[in-house]
Amino acid sequence: MSILVVGISHRTAPVELRERFALPPPRIPEALSALRQQELAQEAVLVCTCNRTELYVQSQTPAPEAFAALLKFFHQFTGQAEVVQEAFYTLSEPHSLEHLFKVAAGLDSMVLGETEILGQLKKAYELALQGQFTGPRLNKAFQRAFNTAKYLRTHTNIQRGSISVASVGVELAEKIFDTLRGRVVMVLGAGDTSEKAARALLSRGATSVLVSNRSYERAVALAQELGGRAVRFDDWSAEFAAVDIVISSTAAPHYILDRAKLAPLMALRENQPLLLIDLAVPRDIEPEVNFLENVYLYNIDDLQEIAADYLKQRQEEVGRCEAIIRERVRELLNVPAAAAAPQTPRPAEA
Amino acid sequence: MPLITDRTWFLAAVIVYGIALVYSVFLWRRGFRRDDRIHYLILVVAYGLHLLAMMKRGYSLQRCPTSNLYEATVFIGWAMMSACLGLALVQRFRFLPVFANPVMVGLGVFAMMPGLDTPGGALSYTGVMVSLHAAFTLLAYGAFGLGAAAGVMYLSQERDLKMHRSRILFSLLPPITRLEKVVTWLTLAGLSLLSVGLVVGFAGITPPPGVRYTQDFKVWWSCVVWAVYAVLLGLHWRFAVRGRRFAWSVVGSFAFVLLTYWGSNLASPLHQP
Repeated sequence: MSILVVGISHRTAPVELRERFALPPPRIPEALSALRQQELAQEAVLVCTCNRTELYVQSQTPAPEAFAALLKFFHQFTGQAEVVQEAFYTLSEPHSLEHLFKVAAGLDSMVLGETEILGQLKKAYELALQGQFTGPRLNKAFQRAFNTAKYLRTHTNIQRGSISVASVGVELAEKIFDTLRGRVVMVLGAGDTSEKAARALLSRGATSVLVSNRSYERAVALAQELGGRAVRFDDWSAEFAAVDIVISSTAAPHYILDRAKLAPLMALRENQPLLLIDLAVPRDIEPEVNFLENVYLYNIDDLQEIAADYLKQRQEEVGRCEAIIRERVRELLNVPAAAAAPQTPRPAEA
Repeated sequence: MPLITDRTWFLAAVIVYGIALVYSVFLWRRGFRRDDRIHYLILVVAYGLHLLAMMKRGYSLQRCPTSNLYEATVFIGWAMMSACLGLALVQRFRFLPVFANPVMVGLGVFAMMPGLDTPGGALSYTGVMVSLHAAFTLLAYGAFGLGAAAGVMYLSQERDLKMHRSRILFSLLPPITRLEKVVTWLTLAGLSLLSVGLVVGFAGITPPPGVRYTQDFKVWWSCVVWAVYAVLLGLHWRFAVRGRRFAWSVVGSFAFVLLTYWGSNLASPLHQP
């Protein structure tokens, strides 16, 4: 009896192929029921996200036979006439458990160390648990995977630091302001990235958004979406005294905010800290303003550089996380340390 | 004379503070990414030895040990570390002792210098009011010292933000506006304690015959220190002197206190009889 994994993910297949095997949430209990009816598994959890469709099963059938049957099931259940075996990976113990732990920790994610996958994995497990498709072995394996993911999040840097421009902006704001609650955000230019950054700030507690754009109608539309207030582009500096964070991404060919203009505005706002996020190319804000006291200016390159740095640091943590995972899996399987020592990590078997 | 005196215990405390300082250099180099429980524990051990030294001296004198420069310096350090370790119980301020550690080592080494621990110093002034005056003023300097440590913490964070150093997001240091609040409140606490200490000194202690407070250098020095911190807070609240300028001012003011404290005592007939 062992835990097996059969799956397809962003590592092994392009999106066109992955979407063919993706199952909408309402069909997942149906698939698990079918697995049990066909006696392919005693316990099963089906994980389906935009990047992966994976089946974790507890099976009494020998692994090679079980893999063949599960692959056949996958194709039949999703209605695929063409067999695409090469895009699927099949893993048996202990690699199946190591894979589960890695997925939970975000080590197998497209964005290394992302936390969203843990929530998705928990949902998939809850769904299987509610339908009584899980048993002692999968319950223990999943609980231990969640626990290990939490441990890795706390004790390593695998999930620390942001790797998207919008979230780097939010984290910078949290390094400046005691709390984002009650902070006023001004969006200059209604671009996609600035909208994302503003939304991220709102989700962390910022309460007020002012939107200013050359096209007033667009400003009004975005302000409505963000639950804020539109300001005419000629009047934005009049609102500046109350603003804490500015996200700028206009299409202006020259600086719209320079040191000479900002210095008196800082006096008006009693030198309270000001975070300026310039996402525009060409830049909207003169770099010299960073020399003003209590002004913190970050442009798109700064943010991307920080994001890339974090990604690099996360990559450096992978080896450490994998060693912890191997140790946890060894404990789960009750394998003595000496027996487990010579094992080397293997990539997913395709 | 006992083999292990209170000074021996204090020397041991200074050595352990030194070990903590070496460890704190690693924390600096790593960018304050991990919780520094080890540093905290080393400091707790040092603080225990420090407290033991003070208690032994206090019991032997049967009063608060603040009668000479050695004892005053040990007391200031104790006040600073008490507040520092207390504040560091809050996770966001767990790195505060890292910044206070160098000051503590400096104070410790200074206190151990020969000639500061003069026996029987200031014994002509005794009583509750003298102890209160000394305790309040020395606690005030402890608060100013801690404010300066928080100020250095602010300056370090602020510099990383200005220089766009990516380590800023990995660091576990608190946001700069929170640090600014801490600096402000510690400065206010120090000023309040110093005010009480000075009032107790002026109103509760009678100078010896023929001596006037207005003729004593230390009294003037203390008033200048009081005025410097009062002006600093005034500028901060009334004239929006914030951020880096305020932090530098607090750090600079405490450096002034540290550098002139000894001299002001030496020049004071009342405090260095």
